[in-house]
Amino acid sequence: MLPHFPAPMISTQLRAALLTLTIACMPIARAPAAPLQFNRDIRPILSENCFQCHGQDRAHREAKLRLDEFESATQDRDGFFAIVPGKPEQSEMIARILSDDESERMPPEESNKHVSPAQVALLKQWISEGAVYERHWAFIAPQRPVVPSNPGTSWGRSPIDAFVLQRLTQEKLTPSPEASPATWLRRVSFDLVGLPPTPQELDAFSADAARRGETAYSEAVDRLMRSPHFGERLAMDWLDAARYADTHGFNNDSTRTMWRWRDWVIEAFNSNKPYNEFITEQLAGDLLPSPTLDQRIATGFNRNHVINSEGGIIDEEYRIEYVADRIRTVSTAWLGLTFECARCHDHKFDPIEQRDYYRLSAFFNNVPEWGEDGRVANAVPMIPAPTRAQQATLARLEKERSAAFEAADAARAGWTWNESLRTQVEQLAAAARTATDANKSITTIEIPPPDAKIQASVLPGATFDFTHKDGLSIAFWLRPDAGNPKDVALLSGTNHQGSPADTSFGNGREIRLINGEIELRIADRLPVYSITVRTEGAGLRPEELHHVAVSYSGGKTAADVRMYVDGREVACRTIYDDLHGGYSKRDFLVATDNATNAARFLGTLEDLRRVAPAASSETISTLFRATALPRALGAIDSGSARSHETRWIADALLAEDAKTRDTLAREIDATERLLALRRTFPTTMVMEEMDVPRQAYLLIRGNYDAHGEKLDAGVPEKLLAPWPEGAPRNRLGLARWFTQPNHPLTGRVVVNRFWAQLFGTGLVKTLEDFGSQSEWPSHPELLDWLAREFVDGGWNVKAFLKELVLSSTYRQSSQVTADLVARDPENRLLARGPRVRLPAELIRDQALAVSGLLAARIGGPSVFPYQPDGLYDSIVVGAAYPGTKWLLGSGEDLYRRSIYTFWKRTMPHPMMLALDAPDREFCTVRRSRTNTPLQALTLWNETGYVEAARRLATRMIREGGTDDTARATFAFHASTGRRPDKAELTVILRTWENLRTNFAAHPSDAETYVAHTGASAVDAMIPPVELAAATNVASMILSLDETLTKD
Amino acid sequence: MSCCNNYERMHSRRDFLSKAGLGLGAAALAHLFRGQAFAGAQVASPGSHIGGLPGLPHFAPTAKRVICLFQSGGPSHLDLFDDKPVLRQRFNKDLPDSVRQGQRITGMVASQSRLALQPSKFGFQAGGKSGTLFSELLPYTRGIADDICVIRSMYTEAINHDPAITFFQTGSQLPGRPSMGAWTDYGLGQLNENLPSYVVLISVNKKGAGQGLLARLWGSGFLPSKHQGVQFRSSGEPVLYLSDTPGITRERRRMMLNGAAELNQIQFEHAGDPEIETRISQAEMAYRMQTSVPDLMELSKESQATFDSYGAAVHEPGSFARNCLIARRLAERGVRFIQLYHRDWDHHGGLQDRLPSLALDVDQPSAALVKDLKQRGLLDETLVIWGGEFGRTPYAQGDASHEKYGRDHHGKAFSIWMAGGGVKPGIVHGSTDDFGFNVADKPVHIHDLQATILHTLGVDHTRLTYRFQGRQYRLTDVHGKVVKDILA
Repeated sequence: MLPHFPAPMISTQLRAALLTLTIACMPIARAPAAPLQFNRDIRPILSENCFQCHGQDRAHREAKLRLDEFESATQDRDGFFAIVPGKPEQSEMIARILSDDESERMPPEESNKHVSPAQVALLKQWISEGAVYERHWAFIAPQRPVVPSNPGTSWGRSPIDAFVLQRLTQEKLTPSPEASPATWLRRVSFDLVGLPPTPQELDAFSADAARRGETAYSEAVDRLMRSPHFGERLAMDWLDAARYADTHGFNNDSTRTMWRWRDWVIEAFNSNKPYNEFITEQLAGDLLPSPTLDQRIATGFNRNHVINSEGGIIDEEYRIEYVADRIRTVSTAWLGLTFECARCHDHKFDPIEQRDYYRLSAFFNNVPEWGEDGRVANAVPMIPAPTRAQQATLARLEKERSAAFEAADAARAGWTWNESLRTQVEQLAAAARTATDANKSITTIEIPPPDAKIQASVLPGATFDFTHKDGLSIAFWLRPDAGNPKDVALLSGTNHQGSPADTSFGNGREIRLINGEIELRIADRLPVYSITVRTEGAGLRPEELHHVAVSYSGGKTAADVRMYVDGREVACRTIYDDLHGGYSKRDFLVATDNATNAARFLGTLEDLRRVAPAASSETISTLFRATALPRALGAIDSGSARSHETRWIADALLAEDAKTRDTLAREIDATERLLALRRTFPTTMVMEEMDVPRQAYLLIRGNYDAHGEKLDAGVPEKLLAPWPEGAPRNRLGLARWFTQPNHPLTGRVVVNRFWAQLFGTGLVKTLEDFGSQSEWPSHPELLDWLAREFVDGGWNVKAFLKELVLSSTYRQSSQVTADLVARDPENRLLARGPRVRLPAELIRDQALAVSGLLAARIGGPSVFPYQPDGLYDSIVVGAAYPGTKWLLGSGEDLYRRSIYTFWKRTMPHPMMLALDAPDREFCTVRRSRTNTPLQALTLWNETGYVEAARRLATRMIREGGTDDTARATFAFHASTGRRPDKAELTVILRTWENLRTNFAAHPSDAETYVAHTGASAVDAMIPPVELAAATNVASMILSLDETLTKD
Repeated sequence: MSCCNNYERMHSRRDFLSKAGLGLGAAALAHLFRGQAFAGAQVASPGSHIGGLPGLPHFAPTAKRVICLFQSGGPSHLDLFDDKPVLRQRFNKDLPDSVRQGQRITGMVASQSRLALQPSKFGFQAGGKSGTLFSELLPYTRGIADDICVIRSMYTEAINHDPAITFFQTGSQLPGRPSMGAWTDYGLGQLNENLPSYVVLISVNKKGAGQGLLARLWGSGFLPSKHQGVQFRSSGEPVLYLSDTPGITRERRRMMLNGAAELNQIQFEHAGDPEIETRISQAEMAYRMQTSVPDLMELSKESQATFDSYGAAVHEPGSFARNCLIARRLAERGVRFIQLYHRDWDHHGGLQDRLPSLALDVDQPSAALVKDLKQRGLLDETLVIWGGEFGRTPYAQGDASHEKYGRDHHGKAFSIWMAGGGVKPGIVHGSTDDFGFNVADKPVHIHDLQATILHTLGVDHTRLTYRFQGRQYRLTDVHGKVVKDILA
């Protein structure tokens, strides 16, 4: 039990609150006696009041005067000097600030800016002392500061504490006492795994801490860091920064599949991937030598931005927005700079020019992407991204297929053609032909005779009706001549006329031959809104005759497509898979398309068959044999047989032979199983580079179509850090630039964010901005020490966090006196431990955990827990895109951690939204923390929360002991991490008794209530009145401030 | 910010205390009461508003509140408000290049071989003493011609729905900025302690079509999320999670809440964190909302005459008519910003059939709301805005001579109307060229409109700012001029 304060002195508290009003408005000020520092004391005043017109934005510079540079500020201007070092009374700047003449006074009236008398005094002092300028602190690489010694005190375990104590001593404050072991354990559990410790863990740890002291603390941290929930907890904040979501955003806001990226993040933290690699793989995993699948998945970081599929938008306008979003995200997350301010003009406050912005953007400008994409599925570029389990199955199936191929090849090895086989082959061909003829689903389509140089001919559109829900297969024989273009239509019912900017461009369906591969396109609008699937490694060589079949089973996704060459299914890859609308039944052109100057296919295209509904692989195989065997025999007779043609015969015969039948069947079966598995792989969006990079330009006033000067990729080297020697001028080089040990920002920005995750506020409060407008750090030396420690220690996240959570600073009690609240409402001085309301996700996760409902499985597709019915009604787009309906889950899906809840950007889960989660439309590194009536309503009535209360009540009764006291204690302990004291217990028991009496008088209400508490089974052994009353008590406990707070 | 939070915290505590006697433990209450003297001393004019920034309003407001009747999808100004006889003479003729001036067009008509002019098929008639012309599709709006100010010279840079509607509501085409209502809540605070100060009402879209709406349109952007709009829903519970689980009576909720308040108070005495007191008072407000919101949505005490004035649809939950009536009730109760949405004005095709049906949905109720407010003496202090994110093209989408013709998006010129709240009644502001394509006179940009809305609320749009990412942001970015001409 925690000791309580004596009753607070009210008058003190009121005075304290009054002080808060005045003090809290000031930035974390220097201690009075400290010497003046430009960066801490002067720059913020100049930046706020002067730089907008007298800073580095040359387009808006007034009077050609810069006050951000010594040279300009001290220049002779016809006898006037803005600043005369050592002589404030001669400095025009001071005179102007103090001027009574409104037309003279600076800053001008209309700017709404005002320099206070205290600030004027500082400016005068600074000029008196010589007007020494410093580069903005955050642009100078951090040096490892000397750890201060604090003589005469024994407080502190870590260098962190020494820095904190030094500041406290300056402020004449003392640290708070250490929190109890149990309080610390609950705090650190939320910070490292995001779940509360159980009462058993709390008690065991308290005992362990008493017995083994530091060792117990250290091992507890290790245990938490070994938990796979560590990765989930750390990922949570990163998902905000990386604007991860399950939908594309904008008007249509349909579903995307990026959870493989989300799981990559979880795994990265769990495996303690060094943070420089964490950065590199996300920025440029695809550009690493022989990138692994994981490294390519990681690049999805730069594809998490919103993508617009609204019909009629201008592609380039939005493509540019995506590039801009990458700049915004990367610069916020790793530079802590508001780079996007330089998109339309030079930065007003930081020395970032518009050119710098577009040079940085050039790194992200080469993605083969479209402005309009993502209507019903992922936007390109995307890759298949099998899960770990699927990868294991894939490896097994590949092995099986290799074995099957080897066995089949061995069976073929002894086989040679001889005339005695002819009869059997003819019989097989005849049987196949009979079967084919009898198959009513197969239709022969007449086209010009074989072996003619094909002339364009037209087939009625209805011949190939892909709109039929049962699908369709098309089969033909193909022998391309050597002179064909790289890309030519074989059968085309697609409109290639008109402007590609038009929303109906490229509507139709077609089969093309592209570099020896067969491609099927079923399109609402080319290229994006289509199913475009291409064989992979079919390698149809010129002058070779092959049987080709394309099959589409009608489900409107690429997974519904199969391709066959010579009767066997072949691998294919999906190029686009975003078909949503209809497509015309335009007539088909044979061997060409209707584009202006369309190429014409040269060679043989014959024996065209349509199979509807879509053929099975067996039908395709039979169809192949019926025509292939006679062709092969003919080739043998004419002495022109090629090896693959002879093999058609071999395979047909070996498949009949009892000795080899199974071997041959296994070969086909193993391939088909492998390909079937591949079709189930989720895709994920990734970064790729175009073969020929796009030229980057400065965009005048940020307009997508106003090209200014041509620019090459680059970074603000003079301002921040040099380009690493030998680094390629691409995203990989950029990653090296970010992660060089002496980068002034990357390390600081990252450690500051980790600090804020633990302490609630960063050492630099503005986590997103370290520029000249940022607030002076509360502990600049500590920030630099942490940055050096982190970077020089190998970017080791776990080791770094361990140091933080074991520090005495972190271990302080969060109890606070009114005086201290007044003095330091946000706890910037760290004279107490953190006390912060839990983020939205953890409030729900905790309820799931203490109620025993939590389904702890890690990763996988996002899930749909309870959400109020009809939330999307009359709000989401009126088209049946995926993601426009909430598909309520069942079973375990209702109880997964909140990081897995389906995140719809334009309408996020209302519980998350009420508890301050952002919508994730763009990078957010700092959430607001508010306290509203809607939060109270949510915690009282949200189905999942009510269900958690009912289950916690059940546990109270089942596991908590035999009387109300024990049961109340159990629930309180599980929820707050401590046992209630006597006063608290009295309140709980009285409330419980009141509720029980009340429900007992209305037993049907109790039954009604219990019946409305979620999908999980109700414990029928507990009388409804008991359960209802206990559930209300549990609900009360789950909504307590202390339960919702990490303290 | 922290000072403001504290300021607000003080107020909410005072607010809570003014509703005292709600079952807190005696000791806790005694403690909180002693705080009242102090908190009260901080309030300049008790009861005026809760929260908000010191120093606001900047000057005397002409409007206490705003009702925005947003018509999502882009209603055709040419068929509703802006009669163009020249178009009638030029049916199916090409839009002159001199008029288009290289204006970009959307991908929906990008490959249309011509931009053929399409006059309105609907007649226009003059209304009221002012003689303002309205389409025959808006007879009721014509009936309030002398109460409203029609702006025919609106324009926006956006040409697609998502950016355009986001621009209208947040002052930026891209996500991330606070909506108008969030800015007002942040700046001016609440007038009512039992209801949210920013309420959103969305028509049920029976036709099931239309562009999606987005939570960001009533979101708080970078402002603290408590400033986001609260949607009052037409089916299910009016506010999410408002209704207690069946079986929980008011009495039982009170029991649970009393227990929680006492436990939180004990925790406050122990931990000293002022957030705990805020949590206690916010729970009390939640409890009050559980009564005040259903009371608000309960329309049975409205007179038959009132129902009749809004039209028969007023009896259908989720209709625009019903939402207009609810908007009036919200206005009466001091809700600061009331935002309605009605969708499906996006008539790329079939305009001739679809436009009349949309007009039928909104014409009578919009006019009834203005009259109702006027009758109750509320119009003078309530600013009503009617309009969409852009207008539509004077050229046809599809074949102009085909009955299924439509019109594409058009941001260069469109019309809205405003009423009450200090806006001059019975006037027309601005005009377009003969084609309704470009603004000819007195252009009003979206930022100008926003500046004007804030102005009526007593807010200088250049001085309501919030520091985010190192700079001061405002609703109107660095633009916006108050349209003084339309202010009384």
